[in-house]
Amino acid sequence: MRAAEDIPMGTLQDLDPQAHMLLQFDVERFLYDEAAALDDRRFIEWLDLLTEDIHYWMPIRRTVNANELDQEFTQIGDMSYFDDDKEMLKHRVARLDTGYAWAELPPSRTRHLITNVRLVGMDGDEIDVESNFHLYRSRLDTEEDSWFGKRCDRLRRVDGQLKICRRHIFLDQTVLLSTNLSSLF
Amino acid sequence: MNKLERVPSQAAPDFASFVDYEQGLVDRRIFSDEAIYQTELERIFARAWNFMCHESQIKEPGDFFQNRIGDDRVVITRDKKGDVQVLLNSCRHRGNVICRAEQGRAKSFMCPYHGWNYGLDGKLVGVPGMKEFYRNDLNKDEWGLGKAAKVESYNGFVFATMDPDAPPLEEYLGDVGKVGLDIAARDGNIEVVNGVQKNRIGCNWKMAVDNLFDWYHPTVSHASAQRSGFFPQFEESLSHMDQMVMIGEYGHAIAGPLVKPENETTATPAQNRYGIQQLKAHPNIFPNLWITLQGDQLSLRLPNGPFETEIWWFTIFQKGIPEEERRLRLSMASHVFGPGGLLEQDDGENWAHSTRGTKGVASRRYPLHYAMGKGHDQMVGTPEGHMRAETVVNEHGQLWTYKSWAEWMDAESWADLKANHSPAPAGRI
Ligand code: FES
Ligand SMILES: [Fe+2]
Repeated sequence: MRAAEDIPMGTLQDLDPQAHMLLQFDVERFLYDEAAALDDRRFIEWLDLLTEDIHYWMPIRRTVNANELDQEFTQIGDMSYFDDDKEMLKHRVARLDTGYAWAELPPSRTRHLITNVRLVGMDGDEIDVESNFHLYRSRLDTEEDSWFGKRCDRLRRVDGQLKICRRHIFLDQTVLLSTNLSSLF
Repeated sequence: MNKLERVPSQAAPDFASFVDYEQGLVDRRIFSDEAIYQTELERIFARAWNFMCHESQIKEPGDFFQNRIGDDRVVITRDKKGDVQVLLNSCRHRGNVICRAEQGRAKSFMCPYHGWNYGLDGKLVGVPGMKEFYRNDLNKDEWGLGKAAKVESYNGFVFATMDPDAPPLEEYLGDVGKVGLDIAARDGNIEVVNGVQKNRIGCNWKMAVDNLFDWYHPTVSHASAQRSGFFPQFEESLSHMDQMVMIGEYGHAIAGPLVKPENETTATPAQNRYGIQQLKAHPNIFPNLWITLQGDQLSLRLPNGPFETEIWWFTIFQKGIPEEERRLRLSMASHVFGPGGLLEQDDGENWAHSTRGTKGVASRRYPLHYAMGKGHDQMVGTPEGHMRAETVVNEHGQLWTYKSWAEWMDAESWADLKANHSPAPAGRI
């Protein structure tokens, strides 16, 4: 990783094209490394990539008419699928090691495909990043789940390292076609 | 030899033979037989009072919410007069769906196929080409949308039945059916929080219903909740709890931990009425509406073929509760139940594979065991005038559900069911 002072600060508009490119490269490398940690089941390491104040949230999406698209997703303070802080995410990870997390026993096989990575904002040491994902889960002998969607992440530089301080996950399904959401997005 | 082993494999519909109440045995075929499932749609779902939504979800005229009764898609609307309507979401012309959104607000429902337009009360109000093509030879009054036979609310919870001979909702619910809805309603000033969680599990709907009475499974199924530190006192809190069972006509039942009034201090009137300080036990309103701990959430289990169930979670809060309490209850709701809930995520696969386990030719020769506690408990009257058994973990709730299921399935009509269903048991169960 580069030293903190090498990494640009300010807003996206302040960046020259080359700095923008370097930042894009850093962010992508970070997201791919993060995805690898999840797919390799290095969950404790994954937790280290999250700041202590992370908000990990997945709203509920609904099929609504075209004139009511503002109500397509539930908002913060409404019901959601995930509304987690770091403590809760630690429980989710700790769960997997208890020997009793039946939804993940034997462990599922997951693949996170992260694409369309776009820097959409920067404010001081925080960068807003949007990406598309395909999270594939293969489970037991023949079970499969595919979740597609968009993640709106806020990354923060902490001691020169990027960490995730906000992850908002927007799925494309309304009725979830999966037995559960025991994977990490 | 038990009774079930004598059932020939091509049994004529004699559904009582699938459930041996005395021995506590249930034939596996009821979870995976396609013909039985079709009969369930006719004799249970098209006959029962089905939960639709809470009135707070359709406050204003034009508000609508989609649900299903068996394979019938329905739209629940608030019409211009302020009445609640439950309309079949199927055009009278070619059957197409007239409402595609899950919820929202509309002035009318125009069929996207040829444009027949229906009012919020289901009346056919517009037909393209009425004069030119139909030559005015179509009586619009006769071609409104199909409707539920009856729609009634209890404490703001809207139910509908497709059977005109169904008894009134309150009679159907009886005491046992009302308990959960009374506790969920609190002082009446409640609303459904924006956002109904929906997901599909590859299980028979009865496997999901069965589980809500099941206080045997948590210490194993949900052991990760304790060991992950999420709920450190989980096992202790379960093992020290007395259990209670209430059993009602038509299949309603309640089972789970009993917290007695003398042990608690904060009572709501509904809780006092039932002598249940905190509802920790789980009610099911037959066939498929579970009211969770303390009435904060309703879980509706919609059948989608013998091998699939759609689970819907409604979250209910009192209006105007303090922000901090609301935040706590909200996080509790998403962290415990629903597909991402730390407890519930471990349930679905068990239900799916239990269902899968009812398919095999040889497996089907072995009935499932529902006899825990059978014959060991006594229904007694409480000072509040309700019958319940106070006991330990048991399977009375599940067994009663299946006994009632068989009575619903054998009945030719509501009149038949009314005349021939079992009364709620008194004495030994
Ligand atoms: S199917 Fe609805 S108008 Fe023809
Ligand atoms: Fe459970």
